[in-house]
Amino acid sequence: MNIVFLLIPLGMMLLVIAVAALFWAVNSGQYDDLEDAGRSVIDRED
Amino acid sequence: MERVAAPVSFLAHASWSADGISHAVFTIEGLRCAACSRAVTRAVSALPGVERISVNVATARACVDWYPQRIVLKQILDTVTATGFKPVPLGGETGASIQRAEHRLALKRIGLAGLGMMQTMMFVYCIYASGAHGIDPGIAQYLKLAGLLIATPVLVYSGAPFFAGALRNLRQRALGMDVPVALALTIAYTASVINTLRGAGEIYFDSVTMFIFFLLAGRFVEMTVRQRSLSATEALARSLPATVARIGADGTAQRVAPDLIRQGDLLSIPKGGVIPVDSRLIEGEALVDESLLTGESTSMAKRPGQPLLGGSINAGHPIRVIAMTRTTESMLASIVSLLERTQAGRASITRTADRIASRFVLLTVGLATIAGVLWLFMEPTRALPAALAVLVVTCPCALSLATPAAIAAATARLARRGLLVTRADALERLARVDVVVVDKTGTLTRGVPAVELKSIEGRYSRDEVLQIAAALEGASEHPIALAFRMHSNPALTADELKEFPGRGVAGRVEGTQWRLGTHAFVSELTGGHNDSAEASVFLATSTGIVATFTVADGLRPDAAHAVDELRRMGLQVAIASGDQQKVVDSVARQLGVEDAVGRLTPQQKLALIQQRQSGGTNVLMIGDGINDGPVLAAASVSCAMAQGSAVAQAAADLLLLSESLNTLPDAIRTARHMRAVIRQNLTWALVYNLAAVPLAAMGWIAPWVAAIGMSASSLLVVLNAARLARASGKTT
Repeated sequence: MNIVFLLIPLGMMLLVIAVAALFWAVNSGQYDDLEDAGRSVIDRED
Repeated sequence: MERVAAPVSFLAHASWSADGISHAVFTIEGLRCAACSRAVTRAVSALPGVERISVNVATARACVDWYPQRIVLKQILDTVTATGFKPVPLGGETGASIQRAEHRLALKRIGLAGLGMMQTMMFVYCIYASGAHGIDPGIAQYLKLAGLLIATPVLVYSGAPFFAGALRNLRQRALGMDVPVALALTIAYTASVINTLRGAGEIYFDSVTMFIFFLLAGRFVEMTVRQRSLSATEALARSLPATVARIGADGTAQRVAPDLIRQGDLLSIPKGGVIPVDSRLIEGEALVDESLLTGESTSMAKRPGQPLLGGSINAGHPIRVIAMTRTTESMLASIVSLLERTQAGRASITRTADRIASRFVLLTVGLATIAGVLWLFMEPTRALPAALAVLVVTCPCALSLATPAAIAAATARLARRGLLVTRADALERLARVDVVVVDKTGTLTRGVPAVELKSIEGRYSRDEVLQIAAALEGASEHPIALAFRMHSNPALTADELKEFPGRGVAGRVEGTQWRLGTHAFVSELTGGHNDSAEASVFLATSTGIVATFTVADGLRPDAAHAVDELRRMGLQVAIASGDQQKVVDSVARQLGVEDAVGRLTPQQKLALIQQRQSGGTNVLMIGDGINDGPVLAAASVSCAMAQGSAVAQAAADLLLLSESLNTLPDAIRTARHMRAVIRQNLTWALVYNLAAVPLAAMGWIAPWVAAIGMSASSLLVVLNAARLARASGKTT
């Protein structure tokens, strides 16, 4: 069972990485506009 | 983002006038309600040396005048900060970028809470699941510590808005919805920390993280829905540019705040830029989009000299315009000030709702305490979960959101169609209307005479006769002449013009002698009798009558459809006009309206409306908004047709900015729909709370289920209201 003592910190590190990745994505503006990019495909102009 | 802006950057938009008063404009972050703006205004105007401050909620901008000898700008900004809001210099921080920053922060908070929630659930589940078989106490303690490690940042970072809101509530001595939330979070977290440290008892880290996640997610959806249903006019007020390029005498452009624009200033408007004030195009062709003002969706071409409405958007090439007014006097400013009035009214509705919610919160805390104490005597282990569940499950939000959310959504929908609601309770009154009284001129008709060609004889085309007639009327100032001149062609002019008052005009166009006027008048030239009962104006040469016209105040093309629609909805339609009975009858016949009275003085119109209302009916009065103020004010609800700068004078509850009368039946339908939605929302809020609270008190609802229930309930209310903003029923 001692493996639990290692795996839990590992899982938490994964959590930290996931949170960091999400914060990076949000801060770099990837979630600012979720609609226009999709709409641009059917937009006739440019 | 947290950097405190140096006052220097504020001075970029400050100016000094001759009388020694400084003037600056800046944005206030976090300003959301009329109450907030009042708080800022009160605090700042109390400062010695401040001449005046005006805070606009719609634009989140403050405009302050002060005496630099007596106070420095920094003190003013510090005072604003002390009221709990952040002053931001104009420029980069427009409403949009503030909104984007809020959006990003909200996403990060939700993201952290969501990830943290999953992780803590996993740990806590291990403890629960192994409960029967017995888990190694060392491992259990290890898992609890891990849960504590994750729940803490979630509580501090993601849960911050609830604590901030609760603190603000307590400071204002009001009980808001954040108070029970913050209380529940504090109790659950503290109990869990104590139990973890002493190594015994239940922990609620999973409930804490889940509660934060679901509440945040619910609020995020609410925020998105609310932003979507922001009325176009509110969006417009926010889109007013922070600075405008003013072209100086030396031809160089200088960026100035819109408040500093004076009549006669030359402005350069880029493609896609908002025209800040009512102005006149000076050169080139322009394409402007007035959809935010009037709901008119197609862009309109403007020629040099033509007026452009403040608030319209330059959809074509960059243009140069001359300002005709100051920003405070333009149509946009009138609309914004009307909006403020609406928001103030809306605030009073919200305040009432908040008062109810505040009592409700008190009740909730009381019930939670009672439930906790009772359980303590029966089964102490269940006391805390039951008390938490009661705190969490009750949903004052649904109660206090029910009405404002529906009003906001309905107002937004109508604004998109060019109908501005200027009083918050106008829609509720509109829903009860059963008689529609229309003043004919300027409403059912356009209000300006228009020429209609009845017949042409001979070899002339339609355009030719209209242009000849326009040339003949070229010098006259008679209203009929103005109607003809709409069709003028600059290349075609008349000479030897002679006007015969009451009869017509005579003149020469391209060598031919013409007459335009009454039948008797042109017959002197033709010598013949060519009777045409329908027409009123005749155009003739010596060889005979060439064309016949009628000049009348024409019906709007959609008047008949709109009246039909109103009748189909079960409303009585009546016409009350000051015009001649004959003309009123003719219009009434065309529209199929039986109840039509002409030759009314404003006093008689007023009496007519009051008489109908004394019979218990609710009257919607539609007028042109300029001459019929008292009549409009007397009606249960009033609607004015408002174009251009007339908006400012119109004192009606509703302003029809669009040209289309079909908006009216749609407005009444939306108002009725809104009333139904408000009833549904209030019923739901009542039923939900009455059902959920006893269940929670009896301990049948786990705290985390309660969190989901509460978020879902308030979401349901907001989404139900959002249906109003969406197009329902086809109206074109």
